[in-house]
Amino acid sequence: MIGRRLVLWGGAAALVVGALVWAAWPSSGSTTSAARAHELATELRCPDCQALSVADSDSSSAEAIRADLARRTKAGESDAEIRQVYIDRYGDSILLKPPSSGLGLLVWVLPVVAVALAIVGLGFAFVRWRREPRLQATDADEALVHGARG
Amino acid sequence: MKHPARWAALAVAVVVAALAVVLASQVSTNPQADQQMSRLVGQSEPTFTVHTFDGRTLSSASLAGKAVLVNFWNSWCIPCQQELPDLKMFAAEHAGDPNVVLLGILRDDTVDAARPYAEAEGMSWSLADDPGANLSLDFGTRGQPETYAISPGGLVVGSEIGPASVRNLDTLLAAAQAHP
Repeated sequence: MIGRRLVLWGGAAALVVGALVWAAWPSSGSTTSAARAHELATELRCPDCQALSVADSDSSSAEAIRADLARRTKAGESDAEIRQVYIDRYGDSILLKPPSSGLGLLVWVLPVVAVALAIVGLGFAFVRWRREPRLQATDADEALVHGARG
Repeated sequence: MKHPARWAALAVAVVVAALAVVLASQVSTNPQADQQMSRLVGQSEPTFTVHTFDGRTLSSASLAGKAVLVNFWNSWCIPCQQELPDLKMFAAEHAGDPNVVLLGILRDDTVDAARPYAEAEGMSWSLADDPGANLSLDFGTRGQPETYAISPGGLVVGSEIGPASVRNLDTLLAAAQAHP
């Protein structure tokens, strides 16, 4: 019985962790150069307007970056190479998402680890609560209830 | 395992501490911090060719051997208007020096709007358009005004983000001239 429950809890935990990892994992690269250029435009911050991506901004610099991205993807440059060009020009802040490597990887991994730890902690708590004896009504308790009911 | 709850609490504390470190490091690379400095300083100037309002062609090759200040500006931005008197003074000071070039690059504006403005304001230095904003992009500009100092050897040696004073411009020029 306990083994079956453990399997169920383990399965549920694995499902949650798997879903979080899948959600946090970088999406696979687009195939066409135009789709890649658009995908990159959504990752880059518009230099003039900060809160918007290059894909969403109408500023002249965003337009210029979109044209540059189209040119570079058509020329066969990889996504990583193109990102690096912009990081070299503007710094890491040009990326709307933290980089998924180096220290920035922790931003993606830590929430998943935190949720996994929370699930494990809950599991421990449930097991502990089950082991603790339940409160039993004593004869005195029963007498009190009967007395109160008249 | 003795006291599993304590181990769980310790693990959570470690994760929270790690998260705090990551957030602190991310804050240190915030856009405001990056805005105050150009990544181009210390690197070779971008290769460029521009066409001036008066019909000349200037390029990084044709300007080699000179100390060049590249100023990104436009006719409508208030900080550009604020720095204009200083740019005029600086240009007047160095008008007779063939080895010093002040080059204004139009950013986020049209020649039709900027040319009459420049004429009315008496902007006597070289002013050029940047169709497609390619040069603005190559310099990694985030707005205007921004000014970059290029040494005679083609190295970007300094930058001023925001309105420049004569003193700033002289400092940039001195830095450019100090690098052969």
